[in-house]
Amino acid sequence: MSAARVRGLPPMTAKLAAGLLIGGFVVLFGLLGPLVVQDPSRVDDIGLTGPGSGHWLGTTQTGQDVLAQLAYATRGSLTVGAIVGVLTLLLSAFFGIVGAYAGGWVDEAFSLFTNVMLVIPGLPLVIVISSYVPDKSLLLVSLVLSLTGWAGSARVLRGYTLSLRNRDYVLASRVAGERRWRILGVEILPNLIPLLASQVVFAVIFAILGEAGLSYLGLGASGSFTWGTMLYYAQNGLALRLGAWWWFIPPGLLLALFGAALSLVNFSIDEIINPKLRNQTRAARRGWRMSRAQLEKAKEATL
Amino acid sequence: MGYFLRKLGFYVVALWAALTVNFVIPRLMPGDPVDLLLAKLGQRGSVTPETRHSIEVMLGTDTQQSLWSQYAGYLHNLAVGDLGVSVTFFPASVTTIIGQTLPWTIGLIGLATVISFFVGVGLGTLAGWKRGSWLDNVIPVTTMFQAVPYFWLALILLFALGSLWPVFPLNGGYDVYNVTPGWNGAFLGSVLYYGTLPALTIILSSFGGWMLGMRNMMVSTLSDDYMVTAEAKGLRPGRIMRRYAARNAVLPSISGFAISLGFVVAGSIVTEAVFSYPGIGSALLQAVGGNDYALMQGIFLVITLSVLGANLLVDVLYSIIDPRTRARA
Amino acid sequence: MSYFVTRARRRAGLAVTAVAATLIALTGCSGDKTTGGGGDSAITVFNGSTGTIVENWNPFSPTYLQPTTGLIYEALYYYNLATEAAPQPMLGTAFSWSPDGKQLSITTRDGVTWNDGQPFTARDVAFTFDLIRRTPAINGTGMKLTSAVAKDDKTAVLTFPDVSYTTEAGILGDTPIIPEHIWSKITDPSKTINQNPVGTGPYKLKTFGPQSYVIEKNAAYWQAGKPEIRSVRYIALATADAASAALTAGQVDWMSAFLPGLDQLIKGKKDLGYVNTPALTASIFTCAGADLGCSGPQTDPAVRQAIYQAINRDQLNKLAGGGFAATASPTMLLPERDKKWIADAANVTTPAGPDAAKANQILDQAGWVKGGDGIRSKAGQRLSMTIQTVTGWSDFISLNDAMTQQLKAVGIEIKPTQLSWNEWNNNQVQGKFQLSLDSIGLGASSNPYFTYSPHYSSATTAKVGEPAGTSGNYVRYRNATVDKALTAAASTNDENLQKQQYAVIQTEIVRDLPYIPIYVNSMLTEFSTARATGWPTNDNKYALPASWRKWDNGVVMVNLKPVK
Repeated sequence: MSAARVRGLPPMTAKLAAGLLIGGFVVLFGLLGPLVVQDPSRVDDIGLTGPGSGHWLGTTQTGQDVLAQLAYATRGSLTVGAIVGVLTLLLSAFFGIVGAYAGGWVDEAFSLFTNVMLVIPGLPLVIVISSYVPDKSLLLVSLVLSLTGWAGSARVLRGYTLSLRNRDYVLASRVAGERRWRILGVEILPNLIPLLASQVVFAVIFAILGEAGLSYLGLGASGSFTWGTMLYYAQNGLALRLGAWWWFIPPGLLLALFGAALSLVNFSIDEIINPKLRNQTRAARRGWRMSRAQLEKAKEATL
Repeated sequence: MGYFLRKLGFYVVALWAALTVNFVIPRLMPGDPVDLLLAKLGQRGSVTPETRHSIEVMLGTDTQQSLWSQYAGYLHNLAVGDLGVSVTFFPASVTTIIGQTLPWTIGLIGLATVISFFVGVGLGTLAGWKRGSWLDNVIPVTTMFQAVPYFWLALILLFALGSLWPVFPLNGGYDVYNVTPGWNGAFLGSVLYYGTLPALTIILSSFGGWMLGMRNMMVSTLSDDYMVTAEAKGLRPGRIMRRYAARNAVLPSISGFAISLGFVVAGSIVTEAVFSYPGIGSALLQAVGGNDYALMQGIFLVITLSVLGANLLVDVLYSIIDPRTRARA
Repeated sequence: MSYFVTRARRRAGLAVTAVAATLIALTGCSGDKTTGGGGDSAITVFNGSTGTIVENWNPFSPTYLQPTTGLIYEALYYYNLATEAAPQPMLGTAFSWSPDGKQLSITTRDGVTWNDGQPFTARDVAFTFDLIRRTPAINGTGMKLTSAVAKDDKTAVLTFPDVSYTTEAGILGDTPIIPEHIWSKITDPSKTINQNPVGTGPYKLKTFGPQSYVIEKNAAYWQAGKPEIRSVRYIALATADAASAALTAGQVDWMSAFLPGLDQLIKGKKDLGYVNTPALTASIFTCAGADLGCSGPQTDPAVRQAIYQAINRDQLNKLAGGGFAATASPTMLLPERDKKWIADAANVTTPAGPDAAKANQILDQAGWVKGGDGIRSKAGQRLSMTIQTVTGWSDFISLNDAMTQQLKAVGIEIKPTQLSWNEWNNNQVQGKFQLSLDSIGLGASSNPYFTYSPHYSSATTAKVGEPAGTSGNYVRYRNATVDKALTAAASTNDENLQKQQYAVIQTEIVRDLPYIPIYVNSMLTEFSTARATGWPTNDNKYALPASWRKWDNGVVMVNLKPVK
């Protein structure tokens, strides 16, 4: 596996294209939607009303516009995802890569800390912490989610860094007397980028899902709009039982779509990290049959 | 031997850290269980200032102990297996509550996790073996199920299969109307019937992960040299798939499985909230709502111990299955 | 997977057969007249318990199971808070105060037995109150007693150190009477869970399980021929969604929960009905007492009066109250039930629609001037306040959303915040809030004393930063005229004298408005007539029908009739 190839962009497959398209659409909606929709908190005497003119996605119990809430909620959930993504990246890179590269007692200590964080159960910890914090903002919920979610990534990164550290070209640079931090920055980090990317994508999915789960339990960010809080209010308002699908379905569907888009992107990243997977998505079966045919030949030859 | 000592050391540190976190966090929470109880009483009838005093006397929260002596007392009590008295369920002890609720959680979610694992690994093996087949192409769809918020899916299924087409029961752990708990067929049947829908939702939203992981490992393993050798020897494909490829490919999944078994207890919270299931997750939610320090600590402890235990088990099993682990350490 | 599906189908099939079998059994029963109408009737109640249920039948414990008081244990009298009615005799048949108001004599009912067969006498009553006197941990209502003795088998006499007319409702209506022959052997009455409760009530414990328990008819109940429902099952449901599902599926016969869109939910289910008995006044609690440390524009009475005038209660009821709320009174009493206690006819009800002109006029007069952004200010202080409520209290959150919009029209800005219950409650207790949404609860009886004394007396308040009394004067309101009138009202049991004092209080609090009433919140009780009839209705409020109420539950159960 050459360094140049690893650094290359993923090939544009149908999966990647679909993922980027859907994901891009959702992000755009979250960025631009709130600028054009009405005030999501504005109440109206019409109460719970189905989709129609004036309210494309209908209204909630108090006559608030669902589309407007959805736009703000998208922005809120993406904010949580982004904050947790960045924090997870920083924390896991620090504890995973730096530890593994430095080696010695630093690695021991970092690794111990990571493993301890990994075995402390996340969701109950998040629940306990968030019930401690009285006035929860989106930022706080994100902080809690990243504090409890980075350890898994750090362990993966550490393993991969350890294997990179012992690669020939890294050893060669060492022998050549390059400075250690330069080796880390130039030889190792670029090879870690796809893995980091995939870990961040996972962190974003889990953060958004985690926030939604917390909100469903009534422990999410208060006073702000996210997909999770929307679902919480819809559920509290018995939206499903009252047949108000326009209130309950859109936030969940949008969340699922966004998650699926990120998964599709991750498939493509996976194929960069693990070239064996890449062979497969292209004419895999043909390749397998070919090698089988060759094997038959080889078998005949040995007989 | 050094390998096991190191592992043991790790678990001691992890246990201590978990216990300390467990001690510190609930204590940092605002509010007072006495206030909470009084407010609950206030909803049922009138409350006077003297009521407060009587409850304080009863719950013993008016003692002004220092945090350190509380910590020492906490560790001591844990050592002797005394988890204290629940405030929410006063005067029941924490162990009673955990004993009542834990079996439900382990039964439902443990079973669902096991089924999900076998379904996922089985399908993943096939998908990896027959790369590019229809099964392999379904994988992105199954991972989409993981991106769907679990409770959203569960609520829709509950509404559809519980209320619209009443195939499954709406709530609870068994048919409380007609069945008496105990080791009788009717009760066990009822428990199975009531657990089916919750279990299905868990399986639906989690088997995709196992499937993808297993499939990727299969694909990687299949291109290893020894697989080529196996082919060359002319072994039957079924044998190669099961004995050679799957056996090696499943190793990482097993380690994942052990960790997820540990998280069974933790992951149950949302499921139990959706299905009104009488497990430990709903007890934890009630404890949080009631500022029930002792119960929260107890449940958190059980969860932590189960995670640690599962990890320890895997470490030991793993080092037996795969001798390279010991050598590497 | 296919295994589960087949299994489920088979179970469903079994369930159908079971229903058919029950039907046959029921028809068989109705033909058999010798059972005296009781028949094989059972109903299911959801009283708000979520998750695991823990056994506790100790009526002095704060976490006892709700059927303990009313169904298993009874009090001396029953106070119906749903209407203006005299206390109904239960275990007591008469009572009288000594002229100085320090001694209460109670005559007890004849022919009552405990459900273990022992006779009930006045000695049990004396023992109950003496136990409470001796044991601070179970003295929940803070009774101050000198002694409690039985003069004979029919008369118990309680002696107090002070004039104690105001304790009457608590003693007669809110103290469970327990058997001496059982409780004299219990060493710590505050800690026992009283596993086999022996009471005088219409029901006794049958089976208990952590997910459900059953109580059954006490055949020797003192009200002849009652109760008629053979057994009552209690279940736990985790969420409103689960509760509404269970109700519409016919699995629950009696529950009390605010279900949005209730009419739509039960449409087409001819067995399901509901009754609405609004009782708790949803109000804006304002930190009013600047002298006790409150800060913010709401310390100006003009601001509170303007809010009172500016909110559109019709819209609030429609959007947040589900249309079920009733009109409140600025006197904080219940307009319908407490009419006789409200001195000024103009103070019986709040306005329904907004009166922006009046609100603007009040604010203009008080010197609050509209700024460029439409929000008023005075001496550099913007007319902007925070209003707190609890995360997840969706109707209160809706109230805040709507009021923000409504008050903006007159130049008042409110900023809603949502807090955890603990934090919200703590802020109120400590006085660290500007505006807060909460409700004025029910007192021990419908006498206004139990509304005015805890909420307006300076005895139950404290400086900001120090805890006020429980369910007390959180708004830091201090008014010497009110205090004096309360003391005067407490020293007499002559209603006419009390009325004069309450009139004084009403004048003060309607002007000062430390609590700004919004509406009387709905109290919805859903029931099914498939298995039992005789539920309270709006025309016949013989009890507060809420399934979570103590005492009232016993009265309701005794009045139910099985469907034949």
